[in-house]
Amino acid sequence: MKTRPNGSTDASDAAKAADLLVTVASTLNERLAVTADELARSQALLREASEELMTAFRGAADRIVAAQRGASAASEKSDEYGIVLDHLYRACQHLQSHDLVNQLIDAQKLRVDKMREKLAQALALAAPPVVRPDQAEPWIERSRAMLDCIVAGIQQIDQDARAPLGDKHRAGSVDLF
Amino acid sequence: MKTILAVDDSATMREMVTFVLESAGYRVIEAEDGAQGLDRASAQNVDLVITDQNMPNMDGLTLVRSLRELRDYKSVPILLLTTESSDSMKSQGRAAGATGWLVKPFDPATLLEVVQKVLR
Repeated sequence: MKTRPNGSTDASDAAKAADLLVTVASTLNERLAVTADELARSQALLREASEELMTAFRGAADRIVAAQRGASAASEKSDEYGIVLDHLYRACQHLQSHDLVNQLIDAQKLRVDKMREKLAQALALAAPPVVRPDQAEPWIERSRAMLDCIVAGIQQIDQDARAPLGDKHRAGSVDLF
Repeated sequence: MKTILAVDDSATMREMVTFVLESAGYRVIEAEDGAQGLDRASAQNVDLVITDQNMPNMDGLTLVRSLRELRDYKSVPILLLTTESSDSMKSQGRAAGATGWLVKPFDPATLLEVVQKVLR
């Protein structure tokens, strides 16, 4: 900040900068709250849909297995039941992707929550009234403390948020020890 | 009839595993996380445990270690069925006492083959 002959102008600029930082942090925090809510809703919808699908697949498969037992092993119908059952098993297999997606959403939720926590801490720093508001230094110190908090939030964003790799080449692999 | 304990925090995954195993003639009991799995296994001896890794309350590796401390589960096969596929996680599983590691999404026929093999 340039040194000006009038100290109160410096203080006014510094106060405006601190206020701007508060606006940015609180707007970002609000947007992240919306994101957190949308992630939670996505997860709930995914869970509900996959449970319903699994129940439906299982119901259909149970019926087919029962019908297959009723049909003679060599009949055309029995072959047909077997093919339908294979399709259902394959569908069930792909339905497992919900588990991976669920874990990816969990990792994103954790990132968002941790960032929101740091933004809330930064905003809390701006809550108490500034001592000596007619001077620039207290405003600059406040802005610096808020920025440090936000930067710390960005730096720790990946800590503990361990998303599964979902390596397609290893999907379905088996290792017996 | 052999009894298998399926531990997974996803109801869909539990139902899927149960569906595959029951259709092959196994009896399946379910648990929602490692802690519940440990309770179920302590209350009733099972012939095989199939567990997910990432779960609330107690993860799969902790469940494996806890089960291996129980006299009745020193040699009962325990399979990890998880989206985790890194070599380091598999090494941890092996060190914890797991019998095998299967990466989701699993093929129902492969799961049955592995189950038959470890129960032999």
